[in-house]
Amino acid sequence: MATLPSGLPCVVDDEESLARFLVHRDQFSASIPKPSAFLPNRNDRETSVFRHGREPLEQLWAIGSAAASGRNIYGAAIIKAHAVRATGLTIDADEPPPRHAAIRNWSWNDADSILQKAQQKEKALVLASQSELVLC
Amino acid sequence: MLGPVSITFPGDAGFAALTTYARSDSAVSSEALAAKSAAERLMASNEGSQVLFGDQSTVISQLWTLAQDCSQPDWDGAGASAIDMAAIYNAENVIRALPANIPMPELAPEPDGAVSLDWIQSRHRIFSISVSASPRLAYAWLDGSDRGHGVAWFDGNSVPERIIEGIRGIFHHGNITLRPSLRCR
Repeated sequence: MATLPSGLPCVVDDEESLARFLVHRDQFSASIPKPSAFLPNRNDRETSVFRHGREPLEQLWAIGSAAASGRNIYGAAIIKAHAVRATGLTIDADEPPPRHAAIRNWSWNDADSILQKAQQKEKALVLASQSELVLC
Repeated sequence: MLGPVSITFPGDAGFAALTTYARSDSAVSSEALAAKSAAERLMASNEGSQVLFGDQSTVISQLWTLAQDCSQPDWDGAGASAIDMAAIYNAENVIRALPANIPMPELAPEPDGAVSLDWIQSRHRIFSISVSASPRLAYAWLDGSDRGHGVAWFDGNSVPERIIEGIRGIFHHGNITLRPSLRCR
């Protein structure tokens, strides 16, 4: 099986955990990450995640700190790859940096950005509901 | 037959008197009992307004804090747009236009410069509105296995009824009066 520089397989397995780092205190509620934490960046049209689960925590926060370029990390939303794929989104390994992956295939409608947002938000709600919130 | 009971208590002193009257156990006649009942309703209404307007002020204050936090591009380290001030003004208008019996939302920044207003009853019951510079509101909901999305026009004064009904649905119909605001961190 082909591997990446990080040693991870090129294809993200359904059972892999993905971490979406939370860099603002309003990106999470008391018990779950908020949906907006999963919305895609409109420049690259993807949501950046890292292939790592809850444990070990020290390694999770080390990856987050490196990814955040010095910004404060409040926590991470952990979600299984199959839960992302169940919404119709795709996950592609996207190194470097090590362990990086991208959630893609978000709805994009250049003619109606508001409708596009509503469509994206519906999927982001599902991702938030399926995630585990881990706080620093 | 009893006629309408009118009670007028001017100012704070009047409110204190109203409080005393509502909580007294001395009413014995039917008129006095009716007046006591009216005072109790007024007290409950006033206390509800204080809770709701207090929550509204708190959320609007949080909105402006969020605007300041995310006022620069790349606030997330991943290329997010700065929060659009027109979105902030629109979001404030939406919050002010919410009916009194609707809980206040939690807030969140979005990577395209919009503001998210979220009602999170549980992880499987969520209603979320995206407020941008546009008068059109993008919204989506998750209610158990049911989910969906839509777009509605906001005139600046009243929140579209289908959004209000959607929020009410998340919190179960008719059981949300005086529900405390969900806490924003």
